[in-house]
Amino acid sequence: MNIAVFIKQVPDTTDVKWTVNNNIDRTKMDSVINPVDKEAIEAALRIKEQLDAKVTVVTMGPKKAEDVLKEAVAMGVDDAFLLCDSKFAGSDTLATSKVLSASIKELLPDTKLIIFGQSAQDGETGQTGPCVAARLNLPSVGHVSEIVEITEEKITVVSETDKEKITLNVTLPAVLCIYNYVYPPRIPRVCGYVKAQDYNYVTYNMYDINVMDSETGLKGSPTYVSKVFKCNDTRNGMLFDAGETSVSEIYQEIKKVL
Amino acid sequence: MEPNGILIYAQTDDDNRIEPVVKELLTKACSLKEKIWNQRIMACVIGERINYEEMIKELGAYGADEVIIVSDNRLKTYNKTYYSEIFTQIAKNHPPRIILIGATSQGKDIAAYVSTKLETGLTADCTDLDIGEANLLLSTRPTFGGQLTADILCKTFPQMATVQQNIFKAEKIDKTAVAKFDWIDIDKIENKIEVINRVVKKNSSENIANADIIVAGGLGACRDNGFALIHELARKLNASVAGTRVAFEKGYILKSQQVGQSGKIVAPKVYIAVGISGADQQLVGIKNSGKIIVINNDKNAPIFKYADIGIVGDLFKVLPELIKEVDKDKEV
Ligand SMILES: Cc1cc2nc3c(=O)[nH]c(=O)nc-3n(C[C@H](O)[C@H](O)[C@H](O)COP(=O)(O)OP(=O)(O)OC[C@H]3O[C@@H](n4cnc5c(N)ncnc54)[C@H](O)[C@@H]3O)c2cc1C
Repeated sequence: MNIAVFIKQVPDTTDVKWTVNNNIDRTKMDSVINPVDKEAIEAALRIKEQLDAKVTVVTMGPKKAEDVLKEAVAMGVDDAFLLCDSKFAGSDTLATSKVLSASIKELLPDTKLIIFGQSAQDGETGQTGPCVAARLNLPSVGHVSEIVEITEEKITVVSETDKEKITLNVTLPAVLCIYNYVYPPRIPRVCGYVKAQDYNYVTYNMYDINVMDSETGLKGSPTYVSKVFKCNDTRNGMLFDAGETSVSEIYQEIKKVL
Repeated sequence: MEPNGILIYAQTDDDNRIEPVVKELLTKACSLKEKIWNQRIMACVIGERINYEEMIKELGAYGADEVIIVSDNRLKTYNKTYYSEIFTQIAKNHPPRIILIGATSQGKDIAAYVSTKLETGLTADCTDLDIGEANLLLSTRPTFGGQLTADILCKTFPQMATVQQNIFKAEKIDKTAVAKFDWIDIDKIENKIEVINRVVKKNSSENIANADIIVAGGLGACRDNGFALIHELARKLNASVAGTRVAFEKGYILKSQQVGQSGKIVAPKVYIAVGISGADQQLVGIKNSGKIIVINNDKNAPIFKYADIGIVGDLFKVLPELIKEVDKDKEV
């Protein structure tokens, strides 16, 4: 069984740099692997331990996103490649989902299972997985808290939100989004890091995956930032310094609002 | 067909009640509608229902001009495949300028699917909506860093946005809506997801969206007995415990207790923020609180600008004393 895991590199700092188009300039930031995406990799590796599976990790980003692929290879995945093209820069969810789904169609056509993390720390929209699924006409399940069983034809998963817990049978191929804190990722071993260092990370561009200029990047993104501003709301309340005013005095004020 | 109107996904719960966020979106849609010429508000209900009259009356009372109903016995409970495809077809049959969907997990599922199928833009978890240049929908949302807010426009139609519950206020108006029954060929939809078991969780004590008083902790409280103190104060005040995304990531609270853009938007009478810096993603979640009390040892923390009562001090010193004061108060 072929399994693909999509991971995202997220900025490691809150020190944001902006491009002239008001997009985050990812080339100037340190990147780490989005934490829940590691759990997606872990979920895939656990399936691999049960079935005869090949796990491929894919990320879209600048050349230096290779760093997060290294981490994935160190964890034990079979292959990892990068979708990198200057034309991809500035892609919103719609454009991103086009690139990712094209990579499945062109490069990994016999994929049975596609796994994402629930959402990315820097966007928190959780849309990319479901959008890729919609584009590929595949069923998708989000908030996956457990993979119960998997065969070549179908997968049984538990999807849990704060409202309900549902067990589902899904016909493969399918897309899953793994929820936080359900598959604690393994720590790579030294030999994993050694393999990751020497691994040949292939890069594919727009043409390799048959994506047109107009479909990706800023051009292919219907949404755009028109303005960025600082929110200047204030409440002009009272301010106490606990070093100067006793808590018992401050409490007299608090009491009035409780 | 020229796109016209604002289409709202009227999500209902298991007991056929309209979700609160739908009413809030209808109210907002009314104010958006005033700014663009000749638009109608459509609310789309999907399900298997008996009492439609009440549903139409209620959606009308919050501003819907038309209620589009799709009914089938296969739609009794939410099914992602059916619901998403049906809503997409509704949007194709009645092409709107704008689609608004509540940012519930169901709403997000549907929004992602619809935007892909219609090849249009979607802005998630908006914290405000307005009409901007060229009569386009202006969706506001905090940017990554949390110190800046962005206005986002969409160059394709329909322009889609999802919004959390409690961002807008619902207001009843005196209005009636007309019903439209749409027939969609459900047999043509291939369902590849089979529900084999479903357990509905009871609304647990940590339902912070409806809490009166909330004591919330941030990274400052994520060590030693910080959260124990928060829990103790909350118990004494009969309050709910909540926290920031960092507190969730560090395992001190559940996701359902997270306040903010990607958590819950709360509107308690009193919100007590302990060791929270006040990133925009947190602030948008607490804006509608009655009074905000802040405890933070950095007097420059952005959260102080939102404080009605601000206390610059170490939470590990202030909280125990505050708890003592509450105790004393209770004795008399
Ligand atoms: C897409 C996206 C969505 C997000 N969604 C959310 C969301 O829904 N909710 C949310 O909260 N965040 C969200 N965030 C994260 C947000 O940007 C901030 O990182 C986060 O709110 C900061 O949490 P904090 O205030 O707990 O931590 P920090 O910013 O680290 O602040 C800790 C504060 O504690 C104070 N402190 C430390 N020690 C003490 C002490 N002893 N006594 C008193 N005070 C002390 C410090 O002065 C500091 O101000 C989101 C971010 C992104 C990018």
